[in-house]
Amino acid sequence: MSARASGPAHGVAPGTDSTATPVGLTHGGESLRRALGLRTVVSTSTGLAFAALEYLAAAGLVAYVAGDSAWIPIGVAGLLALLAWGFFGELNGMFPTAAAIRLYMKRSMDDRAALTITFTYMTTIVLVIAADAFIVGTALTHAFGEPRWVAAIWIVGLLGVAVFSNLRGVRVAGGVQDVATYIVLGATLVVGVLALTRSHHALRFPLNPLQGHSAGDLIEAVALGVFLYSAFEWVTTSAEEVRRPQHIHRGMLISVGLLFIVCSLVTVAMSHVLTHHQLISAYPQLDLGRAALGQAGLWVMAAVTAVTALNTFNGGFITASRFVYGTAREGSLPPQLALLNDRAVPWVPVVGLGGLSLVVALVVAVTGSWQVLVAVGAALEAMIYAVAAMCTLRLRARAPDQHRPFRLRGARALAVLGLVVFSALALVASVSVNNKLNPVPLVIIVCAGSLSAFYVLRILPKVRAAEEARRATTTRRRPDRTAPGPSAPTV
Amino acid sequence: MATREEIAGAYAEWRQRSNANARLKKMVRGWDRVIHFATTDTTDAFTVEVVGQELSELTFGHVGTPDVIVTGSSEDFCDMFWGDLNPSEKYMSGEIILAGSQHDVMRIDAISMVAFLDQGA
Repeated sequence: MSARASGPAHGVAPGTDSTATPVGLTHGGESLRRALGLRTVVSTSTGLAFAALEYLAAAGLVAYVAGDSAWIPIGVAGLLALLAWGFFGELNGMFPTAAAIRLYMKRSMDDRAALTITFTYMTTIVLVIAADAFIVGTALTHAFGEPRWVAAIWIVGLLGVAVFSNLRGVRVAGGVQDVATYIVLGATLVVGVLALTRSHHALRFPLNPLQGHSAGDLIEAVALGVFLYSAFEWVTTSAEEVRRPQHIHRGMLISVGLLFIVCSLVTVAMSHVLTHHQLISAYPQLDLGRAALGQAGLWVMAAVTAVTALNTFNGGFITASRFVYGTAREGSLPPQLALLNDRAVPWVPVVGLGGLSLVVALVVAVTGSWQVLVAVGAALEAMIYAVAAMCTLRLRARAPDQHRPFRLRGARALAVLGLVVFSALALVASVSVNNKLNPVPLVIIVCAGSLSAFYVLRILPKVRAAEEARRATTTRRRPDRTAPGPSAPTV
Repeated sequence: MATREEIAGAYAEWRQRSNANARLKKMVRGWDRVIHFATTDTTDAFTVEVVGQELSELTFGHVGTPDVIVTGSSEDFCDMFWGDLNPSEKYMSGEIILAGSQHDVMRIDAISMVAFLDQGA
């Protein structure tokens, strides 16, 4: 039935065939009117990773190694991030779509396990949004010299603005995102260099991370270091809108390099010029700014911290809410989560994400437990990198002939290595907070995982059964081909 | 496989429903886009424009520079235009492939969903 009858059909603009371009399966946005270039891919990848939480994670890392040598675990973590880059590069090449994580996990493992892991991983987005709201709120409160409780008002206001603008369909344009990210990175670099040079002290232990610390501390520092790169891979959800498909893996690679430079510098600078009290505060970046440029530096870093939230809120809300929407439309989440407002925004996930982030941010503000967020985030990121390694390994076996535009060399050996290393790092990160044994992050992850598993195993079958029942009662509209006469709805 | 005429007939139904849907017209306010459809099995090509909150007639072939490219089987397109197929399911299973911004992709899915909300899709 591949007949290609000529002549206009019902509802077809006549005589347009002659002006048409040849048919081709266009992929990768080559010919799209609005496509993302490499610069925007780099800024998206780096901007998503470089959240405000980055400063606190960097300061926290100093607790595990002799300060000036903090760049070493960050470098090791960077090499591990390159390993993850290889996995995501190959998987994204095979599935260049925003739904890639669903596709490659579904094809690598049982769908129930895939969904459980995915929902647990989504916790990271809530944590990062909550953490950024808390950090920006706290930083602005400190900068303005207001009492601590005012931070709660900032948090409510920031998340309120983020939810409102998302519901209105406001998006940060690629150009604005580029400028914001590069300003954040540039300002952080300049402040870090100035803080170091103006300290007038030589580095003490730049090549000896174990000075006064154990090998176990170094491993924990590496686990935290992995968190500094985390979310660089979220840019793979932009695979459908890039000018060239290879921009994604190239952009991620450049992003890892940029993150290594900026994070290493800011961590070494913090360890060099800040006191222990300043390092464990909720705004070490402000004190770093003050060390570099006095009061003006504090304001610069307060502004930079606020700008980081632009990328986090924009990327986090859009990525999470659209993923939840897609999963609900697919039938794996309740259909209420696919409700759209008049601006075609899935408002239930946006409001839910905002509400959940607000609760977490306020709990953190009250308890001051942001280091727990860092540990949970680090463990979840290491977990998803281990999962990516496993998917790469499985798909090499299950789909050996599938086209791989980006092919990781030595993938099997590297995937096994990645699986072991990232699993170990996930475990280490989940039981340590601020260089003290603390099972709270593990408890949070187990709770999130258990809730996800409960939903997938007990509730999802009912959701799917209800959907099946609804479909069974829906009349098919498409006319039967065997029916005589012209096409007509059968409703 | 569905013929061009079947797809065109299905699209005409989709278009009529969409253009008559007041809520949908609000959803596509200010969203003027060129959408290219490409079938994988019959290698047919179609173009649809959204201009002034209305879907245009279907044009055979790819015309203009697209904002979104939708690639799938002729059967899937036919079923989608009739409202018998949930395109998100096919998208999440990798059977429908999209190129374009997430924002634009959302709008297309919104059209396919809201146009048939009265009877479920």
